[in-house]
Amino acid sequence: MFYLSLFFQYASQYLKTRLTYRVDMVIEILSDLLSQGVNLIFILIVFRHTAFLGGWNRDEIIFIYGFFLVPYAIFSSFFNIWDFNERYIVKGEMDRILTRPVHSLFQIILERIELESLFGAITGLLVMGYAMANLELTFVWYDILIFILMVIGGALIYAGIFISIATIGFWSDSRTDIMPMMYNISNYGRYPINIYNKVIQFVLTWILPFAFVGVYPASYFLNREEWYGYAFFTPVMGLLFFGIAILLWNAGVKRYRGAGN
Amino acid sequence: MNVIEVQNLRKEFNSYTSRPGLAGAFRDLFTRNYKIHAAVDNISLTVKQGEMVGYIGENGAGKSTTIKMLTGILTPTSGSIMVNGMNPHKQREEFVRTIGVVFGQRSQLWWDIAVQESFRLLKKVYRVSDEDYNHHMGHVIETLEIGPLLDKPVRKLSLGQRMRCELAAALVHNPPLLFLDEPTIGLDVLVKLKIRKFLQEINEQYKTTILLTTHDLTDIEALCERVVLLDEGKIIYDGRLDQLQEHAVEGKQIEFEFLSEVSRSSLPRVENIQWEQKDATTWLGYINGDEQMVSRLISDVVQKNPIKNVRINEVSTEEIVRKIYEEGMALT
Repeated sequence: MFYLSLFFQYASQYLKTRLTYRVDMVIEILSDLLSQGVNLIFILIVFRHTAFLGGWNRDEIIFIYGFFLVPYAIFSSFFNIWDFNERYIVKGEMDRILTRPVHSLFQIILERIELESLFGAITGLLVMGYAMANLELTFVWYDILIFILMVIGGALIYAGIFISIATIGFWSDSRTDIMPMMYNISNYGRYPINIYNKVIQFVLTWILPFAFVGVYPASYFLNREEWYGYAFFTPVMGLLFFGIAILLWNAGVKRYRGAGN
Repeated sequence: MNVIEVQNLRKEFNSYTSRPGLAGAFRDLFTRNYKIHAAVDNISLTVKQGEMVGYIGENGAGKSTTIKMLTGILTPTSGSIMVNGMNPHKQREEFVRTIGVVFGQRSQLWWDIAVQESFRLLKKVYRVSDEDYNHHMGHVIETLEIGPLLDKPVRKLSLGQRMRCELAAALVHNPPLLFLDEPTIGLDVLVKLKIRKFLQEINEQYKTTILLTTHDLTDIEALCERVVLLDEGKIIYDGRLDQLQEHAVEGKQIEFEFLSEVSRSSLPRVENIQWEQKDATTWLGYINGDEQMVSRLISDVVQKNPIKNVRINEVSTEEIVRKIYEEGMALT
C-alpha cells in the first residue's frame, strides 16, 4: 500500500517535469511510433512474397506483433535499467539509493519510469484490433482477464531477464555489451516460434523466454490450440523469472562495493 | 547510551594487478594476480548520544568505507556493527530511517525538480507526517535560510545554496544520528560558518549525534570535541581534540626575521628549543616548555641579533595532523 502511494507520488512528479519539456516528449512518442511502423511494414513486405510463414498467415503475425507491443510498452515504461551499471554503480548513485528506507530495486524503478512509453500499448491494441477484424476473431468477457494476466506475465519475463542482466554490475564493474544484444534477441519473440531451428526454439522458450512475451500468449487469442499449454504457462514463467531476478538482485546488493570518491 | 558500537570492523577489497605488456595481458586472462587490501582494518569505536565526532584521515585512509559500512551501504568483511541498536546492512530499510546522510560530492536531491518537491518526495519516502514535517522543517528551512530557494530547481542553485538544501534534505525525518561526508567541500567561508552554526544548533536542540569527515580541519576545530584519526585503515588516535594538540606539539613556535643573515651558532643554545631555518634571514624556534620560556627566548635572541620582525605562531590542528602523517608520530 505504501509502495503504491509512493509510486503515484513519483509518477505525478514525473509527469510534472515531463510536461515542462513538451517538445522532448512529443519527439519521443513520435520516434516510438516510427519504429513500430517500420516493424509493421517489414511484416507486410514479407507477406508480399509468401502467404504463410510456418503455417501462420499475415494477419495472425500482425496480431502477434500487436500483442507483443503491450507487455513491451509496460516493460519499457517501468523497467528502464539498461544503463544501471553506468548510472548507479560506476557513478555511485547506488550509495544514495541504499540510504533510503525503500527496497533498492523499487526505488530505481521509480526513478527511471518513462510513462510516455505506454503509448506503445495503445498502438498495440489498435494493431491487434485491425488484425482481429481481418481474422473475424470473437472473444468472450473473460478473455479480457486472461489478456491482462498474459500481458503482466510477459512484462515480468522481460523485467526478470533485464534485471538479472543488470545485476552483473554488482559482480563485475567492467562494461558489458550484453544489454544491446539482449534487446536484439528479444525481438525474436514476436515471430512464430516454429519458424526457427530447434536450438533457438529451446532458448527462446526456457532460457531467454521471449517467446512467452509474443507468440505463445497470442496463440491463445488466435485459437491455436496446439500452443495452449505454452500460452497458459506465460504468467508462471513471468513470476519465476521475476522471482529469480529479485533473488539475484538482493544477493548482488550485498556484494555492492561502492564507487570511490 | 551508545549510538554507535563497532568492534573489530574490517573491510577487504579484492583488487588485481595487471602484468605488463601484451603477453602479460594474455596471462591476465587466465590467472589474475589478486591482492587483498584491507581498506578498514580492525576498527573498534563507540560513540555516545549527542557527541560530535570528527573523523579524519588522508584520502584512501578508509574514512568513506567506514561511513558506508556504518550507514548500511557496504557489507563488512568481518566484525560487528551496532548503530542505533540495529545492524545496518541486515536491517537496512528499517535502519536508514533513523539516520541522515550527506555526501558532499553526491546530490540527494532531484536535479530537475524544485527543492520543495524533492523535500516532499523524501517526506513520503520516510513516511513523515504533515504535522511533524511542518513543525520540524519550518525550523530547519528558517535556520539554513533556504526559504527563497524552495521553488527553484536544484540545477539552478549555486554550490553553497545546494549544500544547505542537501543538509535540510537529510533532516526531513529528523534523524537522531547524522553522517556528514565532506559537507563543506568547495564552499566559501560564509556558507561554512552558516552550516557550522546550524549543526551546533541541532546538536543542542535535538541531541543529534553527528559523525563528520572533512578535509577542512577548521570545521572540526569549530564543531568537534572528539576526533578519530585514521591511517591506512587503522585508528591511530581517538580522543579529545585539545589533548591531541597538547600531545602532538607541545608549546609554541616563534618566527624570527632578522635584518641580516644569521648562522645557527649565534642563536642561543637551550635544551628545550629546536631551531629550524626557513630562509637565509628567518629562523623558526620550537619551544617545549612553559610560557615563560617564550619571553626569555625572545629577549635572548633580540639582545644579540638585530631583528626585523617576531611572530608567535600557535600550531594549528592542520599542522599537527600533517606532522602525524608525515612523521608517523606514535600516539596512544
